[in-house]
Amino acid sequence: MQVVIIGNSAAGLSGLEAFRKKDQSSSVTIVTREGEVPYSKVLLPYYLLGKIPYANLFTRDKNYYARLNAKCITGNVVKLLPEQQAVLLESGTLLPYDKLLIATGSSPVKPPIPGLSGKGIYHLWTLADVENLAPYYNKGKRVVVLGSGFVSLQGAWAALSRGLDVSVIELMDRIMPRVLDDHAAALLATRMIKSGVDLRINTFTREIERTGDEKLVLHFKNGKSLTSDFIIVGTGVRPNIEFTAGTGLKIDAGIVVNKQMETTLPGVYAAGDVAQVPSASGGDPVVHALWPTAIETGSIAGTAMASGNSRYRGSLNMNVTQMFDITVASMGEFMDIEGSESWTDENLPEDQYLKIVLKDGVPIGAICAGGSELISTLGMLRPLIREKVQLQGNPGMLKALLASNIAQHQQTFIKQ
Amino acid sequence: MRFITMDVTKCVVCRNCEYACSFQQTGDFRREDSNIRVEYYDDVKICLPLTCMHCDDSWCLEICPASAITRNVKTGAIEINSERCAGCKMCILACPFGNIHFDKINMVSRKCNLCEGEPNCVSFCISGALQYTESKNSYQNNRQIFQRFIENL
Amino acid sequence: MAGSSEKKEHYTSMCRMCDNRCGINVYVENGCIVEITGLKEHKWNHGRLCVKGRLGVDLVNAPDRILKPLKRVGSEWEEIDLDQAYDEIAERIKKVQATWGNRAMGVWKGEALGFLTQEQLSRRFIHAIGSPNYFSNDSQCFVSRWIGYALVTGDWATQDFINSDCAVIWGSNPPYSQPNLTQSILKGRKKGGKLIVIDVRLSAIARQADEFIQILPGTDGALALGFARQLIEDDTICHTFIEKYTLGYETYARYVKEFTPERVEKETGIPAAKVVQLARLIGACRPRVCIYAGNGLEHHENGINNIRAIACLDGLLGNLDEVGGNFTAEKPNLRNISLYEEKPLRHLGPIGADKFPVLYDFRQECHTMSVMDTILNETPYPLKGMILGGANPALTNPNTRKVIKALKSLDLFVVREIFMTETAELADYVLPGATYLEQSELHVHPIHQIIGLSPEIVTFPDCDNEYIFWKKLASRLGVEDYFPWENKDALNKWLLKDTEITVEKLFNHPEGYEYKPRRFHKYREKELPTPSGKFEFVSSYLKKYGYPYLPEYIPPTYMNEPDPDYPYILVTGARKVFYTHGRNRNFKRCRTAIPGPDIEIHPIDAEKLEVKTGDVVTVTSTVGSMDIPVKVVHSSNILPGVTQITHGWKESNVNLITHDDRNDPISGFPLMKSVEVKIERKAVNVNN
Ligand SMILES: Cc1cc2nc3c(=O)[nH]c(=O)nc-3n(C[C@H](O)[C@H](O)[C@H](O)COP(=O)(O)OP(=O)(O)OC[C@H]3O[C@@H](n4cnc5c(N)ncnc54)[C@H](O)[C@@H]3O)c2cc1C
Ligand code: SF4
Repeated sequence: MQVVIIGNSAAGLSGLEAFRKKDQSSSVTIVTREGEVPYSKVLLPYYLLGKIPYANLFTRDKNYYARLNAKCITGNVVKLLPEQQAVLLESGTLLPYDKLLIATGSSPVKPPIPGLSGKGIYHLWTLADVENLAPYYNKGKRVVVLGSGFVSLQGAWAALSRGLDVSVIELMDRIMPRVLDDHAAALLATRMIKSGVDLRINTFTREIERTGDEKLVLHFKNGKSLTSDFIIVGTGVRPNIEFTAGTGLKIDAGIVVNKQMETTLPGVYAAGDVAQVPSASGGDPVVHALWPTAIETGSIAGTAMASGNSRYRGSLNMNVTQMFDITVASMGEFMDIEGSESWTDENLPEDQYLKIVLKDGVPIGAICAGGSELISTLGMLRPLIREKVQLQGNPGMLKALLASNIAQHQQTFIKQ
Repeated sequence: MRFITMDVTKCVVCRNCEYACSFQQTGDFRREDSNIRVEYYDDVKICLPLTCMHCDDSWCLEICPASAITRNVKTGAIEINSERCAGCKMCILACPFGNIHFDKINMVSRKCNLCEGEPNCVSFCISGALQYTESKNSYQNNRQIFQRFIENL
Repeated sequence: MAGSSEKKEHYTSMCRMCDNRCGINVYVENGCIVEITGLKEHKWNHGRLCVKGRLGVDLVNAPDRILKPLKRVGSEWEEIDLDQAYDEIAERIKKVQATWGNRAMGVWKGEALGFLTQEQLSRRFIHAIGSPNYFSNDSQCFVSRWIGYALVTGDWATQDFINSDCAVIWGSNPPYSQPNLTQSILKGRKKGGKLIVIDVRLSAIARQADEFIQILPGTDGALALGFARQLIEDDTICHTFIEKYTLGYETYARYVKEFTPERVEKETGIPAAKVVQLARLIGACRPRVCIYAGNGLEHHENGINNIRAIACLDGLLGNLDEVGGNFTAEKPNLRNISLYEEKPLRHLGPIGADKFPVLYDFRQECHTMSVMDTILNETPYPLKGMILGGANPALTNPNTRKVIKALKSLDLFVVREIFMTETAELADYVLPGATYLEQSELHVHPIHQIIGLSPEIVTFPDCDNEYIFWKKLASRLGVEDYFPWENKDALNKWLLKDTEITVEKLFNHPEGYEYKPRRFHKYREKELPTPSGKFEFVSSYLKKYGYPYLPEYIPPTYMNEPDPDYPYILVTGARKVFYTHGRNRNFKRCRTAIPGPDIEIHPIDAEKLEVKTGDVVTVTSTVGSMDIPVKVVHSSNILPGVTQITHGWKESNVNLITHDDRNDPISGFPLMKSVEVKIERKAVNVNN
């Protein structure tokens, strides 16, 4: 059997590894339009921050493919040819497949702001972006970050830590709209401002002007303007699906897949940021551009392609990061929705926050801000959310409750 | 493989294990630096020592975006390579037992590494609650155990 | 703490960071002790240590160790040559003797420098120079339990927890005070035994108790007598043992009748039904019942009789010298180096022996609380010189102010120490002491009937070991004949002479050499070592002195005559995992974990006093007052109205307010665990 995987990042590699667990003989070819040695996107901000060296961005060694008896080639897939069961590379090479995994991820989009392109204007999304950005990450430089999403703020945090002057421009009235609720966002915003970030909410950028001395001037709708050495644009992403145009592949917010990650085309699977996958809540399918989801769905796809048994239990939204000396994390449905009730830990100090959202007694999501110990609590909740387990009693006793149950199971283990 | 087993009917929450673990890593007796955590829940009267169970399918290992988590071939321990760890905390969120902790000084995640096959927490456990024992019925199917655990909730 | 040990020299020894003496491996590199780990094969601890065990490395290498003899010159310390120190001290001893008589000298043994041999050597020395005045920390620690049990059974048994069906831990928190004993207690429980913990606080061991009984301080005797009554009523007693081997059963049985469950409830705060239930539980498990009486029982005005009452339960249950019961270990036949037989000096009036003759009869021990008055008032005669080793009474004896005043007023005060303690600061001379890693000593673990030898592993030039210290001093005082052995090794050989044990054998048995296999029911062959040869429910010996014949219960003063000005009951002395009495506070890492003192307070009391954790309160007794931060504990930890302060903190020294002169009439033990106090809020949160 001929297997082709497009993309050598989270979903693609996870797919490869899962596939090889079940099938050691089929030939596997991986195509990537970036370097053959895989790197991890999640690490990019940490490199800019100076926390990890460049070499550590790469998460597999040179012999990785050989060990997995796979071939990796560089190439840009420009066309999917379902009738021929092949993909066409920009170079003209045709790669036939029996099974295909599309793990091409997503790419950032640029808002239609006049002047928002050219030197000094970058995304923070790929290794190439970071190579462009790195020379600017020097003390004394000024950066404007457009957008206050998860990745944008990580870029801002890295810049601030490296001694840059940082402004963050957000169109809406609060930061991290999709990752945090109002309270957590406010806690984070307070910390950001305290750390010295020039945070501007409700700010619409009208246009970008270039000055003679290579500076960029942002003009805002409110009449104010801001000069900067460079701009990071973080205003959303969309799936990399251009090459599927005209194939009849069903696409919604991403490539539509079932619980085995099969698309609507025979033999074609999709996973990761590019796919619209079942949601853990059982609600509408979702595109979660998240690392854990890419790993999980890649693995499901890989197993399915090797004719193994696998059914995705659905993607659970989970985010965590520490920046500006505060840890924030969220999971599942952390916003109060209709019919939900929430429990907030009242024993925490004012600058800490933990909220659990329940529906009919079942935890469906949680959010925290403060110290990293709080994340462990979210971690312990995760299986309950996934399995939709009713939480008896006061969630304040959550840890003790979890504890007593872990305790029971340890006991059964010790007795064995 | 040998595992650290934790007997909740023996633990007295004396915290010797926590201090010993902290000492092993930092030379100090700071509970926050310990990879084993012991908690006494006054209201339910439960003594719970918890440390990594080195699961067969390790949630943390699978999720680590830095490939910093690996299994030690000699001891079987799931270990975090702090050189590679970027400090993204995804593993902390992934562990359903709360067994990974964040080292605020070095900004990396920390967890039990079985002390190269001679776990200090066990050597300093004066109640006998912690044992380092060979076991076939290990936590290999931790996910299944967890499954059972949540079913019982 | 693990780590490779290839390059290092390896020794096996026993830990002396507390009295448990766990087997240890000691690793030496370039003449320095670098690592201590648990010795797997040792029968006591099976390779496990508590964190204190590892602190031996900190102790021996401590930067603040005293390594040179110090002499007080005015308010300063001057380093002097070791020989000069011995010469000068000897001269000054001679002067004290010439001016005030031999008995004006005393010695005081602490715990920090050595163990059995250390005690015996100090006793030997003081008798050699003609004084009966041997003092020690023991007269406020364990000795009254020893006496309480010895009065009834002739000895103080150890507990065979592993084989027990029911373990009763009474007023003790082994995880902190005898860490590795916890292993055996819980092993016994794991095998199906029940664990009953009777304590004022929900201690660490109480967390695993099948039954945790929270008792009012000092009322334990009533509970024991109540148990006795119930056992008799239920007829869950051992008739053969009672008939054949006990004395005074009828009288005792008549006395305990008063202690109905209702009366016990009134006295102890424990519900009557619970008393019955527990008695039945214990009765059902007989004879495999272990009862361990802890230090919590001692520091009360009715301590000895409360302990006697508990000891008497052994007679009913027949658990004495029983498998899984209270096992009377046989001792190795070591030679005795004290001189009580060779050179008895009781006629010279050992201090306190008039007031507390039982203490002297049983332990040949003077009364450390009385010595302060003796020093200050020169009654019954002057005591002017004291040599103290490894004790810190300025922190750990009751009524600190008096202790400091007394010790300061001595003509000659010599302290042998490892660190500049609060007591050493009062001395005229401070001589550097040797730690347990710097001298060899014999150790016995009665429960396993094993003996071991800890070797001398490293030495420091001016830190003489215990034996050499006394020998050098003796030779300058003309009593060198009493110290004929060349060194400690020779002494150890001599101590072992009447046994088949040799030093070599001991070195070959780091796990502990079994000097005699354990045998049970020895009382069937040989009378118990009491005056009557029987298990004594009643004591004619005590009666002769005018003490109660029966283990009579007298309620604590705070119940009998409550003083509205001092409405709270203060218990002192609950151990913390890192700290053995006054020790280890100078190790930085310990301070990271447990940075300072606190007073444990029930949430209800905290509310009444309007204090939170971290607030400072002033605690006052009729002796004095002290300031200390509050720790509001969980409501299950302590009873409302009861508070606890751990001793040994110089920053909040609880002994500033404990009583040296309210004593148990029999043992002379001070009142430290049911002190009436008042508590007032002082300042808001020191931590902020
Ligand atoms: C800076 C940054 C920080 C992040 N931090 C987090 C975080 O903390 N937590 C979290 O959960 N998620 C985070 N994410 C998101 C996470 O990295 C992605 O969800 C994840 O990488 C998705 O994996 P993927 O394999 O689906 O796609 P990608 O990682 O986007 O990989 C796509 C792959 O496909 C290849 N490819 C694409 N198109 C073609 C083509 N036409 N031809 C050939 N090859 C092609 C690319 O070369 C690449 O190898 C972060 C992302 C970024 C950029
Ligand atoms: S219990 Fe701790 S301090 Fe005591 S002897 Fe053992 S290791 Fe040493």
